[in-house]
Amino acid sequence: MIPPPLNDNLQSYMTHTRKVLDRSLSTLVAILMAVLVVDVLWQVFTRFILGDPSSWTEEMARYLMIWVGLIGAAYAAGRRMHLSVDLLPGKLTGNRAHILRILIESFVLIFALAALFAGGLRLVWVMLTLGQTSASLQLPLGYVYLAVPLSGLFIAWYAILDLMGEVNELRNGNR
Amino acid sequence: METVEIFVLVISFVGLLLIGVPIAYSIGLATLATMLVTMGTWPSLTTQAQRIATGLDSFALLAIPFFILAGQIMNRGGMARRLIDFARALLGLLPGALAHVNILASMLFGAISGSAVAAASAVGGIMTPQMEKDQYDRNYTAAVNITSATTGLLIPPSNILIVYSLASGGVSIAALFLAGYLPGILVGLSLMAVAAIIALRRGYGATQASGMRTVLWRFLDAIPSLTLLVVVMGGIVAGFFTATEAAAVAVLYALILALIYREITFRDLPQIFIDASGTTAVVLLLVATSVGMSWIMAYVNIPQQLTESLLALTDNGIVILLLINVILLCVGIFMDITPAVLIFTPIFLPIAITLGIDPIHFGIIIVLNLCIGLCTPPVGSVLFVGVGVAGTRISDVTRPLLPFFIAMIVALMVVTYFPGLSLWLPDLFLK
Repeated sequence: MIPPPLNDNLQSYMTHTRKVLDRSLSTLVAILMAVLVVDVLWQVFTRFILGDPSSWTEEMARYLMIWVGLIGAAYAAGRRMHLSVDLLPGKLTGNRAHILRILIESFVLIFALAALFAGGLRLVWVMLTLGQTSASLQLPLGYVYLAVPLSGLFIAWYAILDLMGEVNELRNGNR
Repeated sequence: METVEIFVLVISFVGLLLIGVPIAYSIGLATLATMLVTMGTWPSLTTQAQRIATGLDSFALLAIPFFILAGQIMNRGGMARRLIDFARALLGLLPGALAHVNILASMLFGAISGSAVAAASAVGGIMTPQMEKDQYDRNYTAAVNITSATTGLLIPPSNILIVYSLASGGVSIAALFLAGYLPGILVGLSLMAVAAIIALRRGYGATQASGMRTVLWRFLDAIPSLTLLVVVMGGIVAGFFTATEAAAVAVLYALILALIYREITFRDLPQIFIDASGTTAVVLLLVATSVGMSWIMAYVNIPQQLTESLLALTDNGIVILLLINVILLCVGIFMDITPAVLIFTPIFLPIAITLGIDPIHFGIIIVLNLCIGLCTPPVGSVLFVGVGVAGTRISDVTRPLLPFFIAMIVALMVVTYFPGLSLWLPDLFLK
């Protein structure tokens, strides 16, 4: 039995969601990056010009980079920027190609949900219960690590959108 | 022997990679699978998440986003073009002049931006149309651009040497940077030799000779861009600032220069920041997951076992270095340089140290070796970018790439067996 293709509403919902997600993530990541640059420049400035090195800039920079890396990874996932070996995907055409893409996206989804989202949430929870804070900013480490489950959530979101698209193509191809 | 763990790790990783799961996720999933056979479910998931977060928690690593950002700004801000014009005025008389211009420009731009991918896209983007116009074969052009882009990974500042410093447990970044100069220049010269031979055979000529006036003028025009190299490297070697601070200064410098040149405006900045963050994140996710894989490999004793079996095979240093090089060349064919450095440094460095090889020298060997892998089909980030800017296909550049690979492998052997080439400059400046 071949299920009917996704209707137009669902299609436009997918395109729309993707756009909103792209936009929000790219804005967030650009702001984080800009703050990161200013933060380290401030460190250089306080050390060389003021002769009184700032105590919190280095720590803040490290935490900002965790966020740039992980939120950026979600953005890059949406833009399909992550490197892969495309020997097999390049060889397949038609239905087989769609089935392979479904398999690949499923693995991406497993990683995003299991390691990043579930593992990340638990890590955040453990850190918050232990009440661990950072050395100089006194920031609860749980909040710093919140970037991990968030990244997982967004990567999973993109993977689901891609999966829906592939399933839809597969159905359309079959009629 | 943790046979089961090793089996799970290798099989799942290779399998995922081959069906086309992005490399970073393949590394992450293989690590997770190995953790699951070693410990419980929740500990595995939490440990994985924690390794990913703490893997990025490093101030030294922060130089990477900054150099990538500086590279983007320099590319769009007209600095890449000025460096190419300078190289062109200087090398116009050689046979296959434009190929040499491409190589020298890659050495300069790759050095400043710290990234081979940035060099391949910036220099290739400008040189490809020019070489096309002068009747150069498109695949030859792509081969020159792809291989020469990697020289910037050895000539400092270099992002991958920072990654090596991290993986090796803190070999001095300043020493690694200084060590990279001569090997990087050696690779550049070897590529030029091959380019010249092919150019002579195919009759690619010189471009118009430039007068002294032009050379001088182009040089003056390139000085502000070249100054960046002096500031960054001088600052790091003299101990004024860390590589990360130097990279942040490079961003500011590039930004000011680009605004003075009026080639970009404040309006272009958000997009530049977004693009740089995307490129950065691709590298950082590889770093984060590789750190996890490296951890689980150490946890199940893989490095120790490999060391023992390699040393049981032979205790001849020359042979072991050759074996390591061959293994890394094979690794490089399928794996990107960042995860390869992070995963294999902890495995091979202890062996190298046992044999009395300086960790600085070993870092240069690993990086130069894996640079070759960046250009080899089927996988290589520089290969992908280079083929993209030249508008050709991987299958078509494979043959033209071969003579350049041979030159790089010869350079690799020279660098491997003549430690002085790497260690002379660090000894001179830092001791």
